[in-house]
Amino acid sequence: MIILESILNLLQAGFVQRAFIISIIIAVLSSVLSIFIVLKQISLIGHGLAHTAFGGLALGYYLNIVPFWVGGVTVVLGSLGITKAMRSAKISGDAAIAVFIELGLAGGIVLLSVARGFGVSLESLLFGSVLVVSFDQIIGASVVAAITLGIIFVFFKELVYVTFDETQAKAAGIKTWFFDYLISVLAGITVIVAIPIVGVLLIAALLVLPALTSIQISKSFRQTVILSPIFGLITVVSGLFLSILIDAAPGGAIVLTGLAILGIILVAKRIQSFGKSPEKPALTASNET
Amino acid sequence: MSEQAKPIVEIRDVSVRYPNGVMALDGINVDVNQNDLIALLGPNGAGKSTLLKVILGLIKPTSGSVNLFGSQELSKNLKYVGYVPQSAQVRDPNLPFSVYETVMLGRTPHAGLFHGVGAQDRQKVEETLKLFEIHELKDRKIGQLSGGQSQRVFLAKAMVADPKLLLLDEPTSGVDTTSKSEFYKILERLNKERGITVILSSHDVGVITKIANRVLCINRSQFFCGENADFSAIAEIHKVYDHPVELMEHSDHP
Repeated sequence: MIILESILNLLQAGFVQRAFIISIIIAVLSSVLSIFIVLKQISLIGHGLAHTAFGGLALGYYLNIVPFWVGGVTVVLGSLGITKAMRSAKISGDAAIAVFIELGLAGGIVLLSVARGFGVSLESLLFGSVLVVSFDQIIGASVVAAITLGIIFVFFKELVYVTFDETQAKAAGIKTWFFDYLISVLAGITVIVAIPIVGVLLIAALLVLPALTSIQISKSFRQTVILSPIFGLITVVSGLFLSILIDAAPGGAIVLTGLAILGIILVAKRIQSFGKSPEKPALTASNET
Repeated sequence: MSEQAKPIVEIRDVSVRYPNGVMALDGINVDVNQNDLIALLGPNGAGKSTLLKVILGLIKPTSGSVNLFGSQELSKNLKYVGYVPQSAQVRDPNLPFSVYETVMLGRTPHAGLFHGVGAQDRQKVEETLKLFEIHELKDRKIGQLSGGQSQRVFLAKAMVADPKLLLLDEPTSGVDTTSKSEFYKILERLNKERGITVILSSHDVGVITKIANRVLCINRSQFFCGENADFSAIAEIHKVYDHPVELMEHSDHP
């Protein structure tokens, strides 16, 4: 009872409300992007971009130029570089991303250690500081979310085709290279807005887990588009509650919640498939002519 | 109307050399006329898929040229081409696309930029699902279909765009005999009744030389290109495949 009362009191606090609002905005945005990222099998790109952004932010602190802008330029260049490397036959996609992860992380740590005294901690960039979000940050995240979701809406059918099968999309006359870069840049912009709030580690997870979870139970792309933001929202809201309840780091609690939801869905699916397994061959053959 | 008499596809001295130095195609010359059903034959690695990809602009020829509907700017006319790739049936069972959504993808090139799919597109998809007798599967996940069902879905996806030219890259590989036979019947109907030009690559030599009016036989270079009636299957196939070949026919094919 006392715990419940103290949670309710906390929920009335402005900083907690702002934390929930911004987490919800970022969850919806990253969940929608995660659909294209996971289905295009470039799930590691979130990590690559998050670490590139980390390096860019650290460079901004080191140069004493607004870190957000330095980080923004770095992550956009990084997203273009990663996509170019992934499209090149000379280097495999995961290796290209690994190079950017190492470069961003190593560069960021070195620059932050040199820039010590500029009022930034490694911890706040890695894990974010969702509980100290300002009203301006909420406005900024809302604007980025509206623009990004707007672009996705405009190019939705082309993005869906490219996600389904790049070769077939190309054969249909769609400029697939443009959409590869677009997805990557939109993910990069999402990352740079989200890192100061939710951290490097959490944003990379939010760019994968909602779609990965929804795909397990979706029978269509339409269902995936509906379920992915729902799983994203459930993950951040319950993760934040959990972090307040047990006084844990919000970023970690949210990621663990997302993983727990994915685990539950996978187990439930497995149990369900046990029950259905004898019918499977009949189902496959029933409509064969 | 004189334009209609011109070949739909003109392939002139097309050669493709891959970056690793392998010569995939060497001096291919073909005119594809309207209403043709061309059997594209050759062993694995002969360059059949490469040739189809050259027509689609997916692979640029090292030398030579391709005209599609009278233009060398291939991408301009791709919306008139339906394509079923070799790997169309092999899908991730978890891929969250229903049969309906997969076929709807075929309408994408026809909807303009900034436009979603409309009532007309939905009606077209419904009609196509019925035509290919896959309407009852429309809510099933594409990755959970059998080879024969999947192959029909991809043919429906190619056909929903009302193409003038269909390029099919070994569409029946991994498909059971009955489904193959059904598939070739549908293809014959599309060619004869709807006037759709077809280039079909396959190893089912016995069957496709029966439905095709022309044959193109390649093994990197061109061995035979001409009327089906002039094609001595056993002799040419022996040369191209470089080993004795027994021509099989499906007993249930008309």
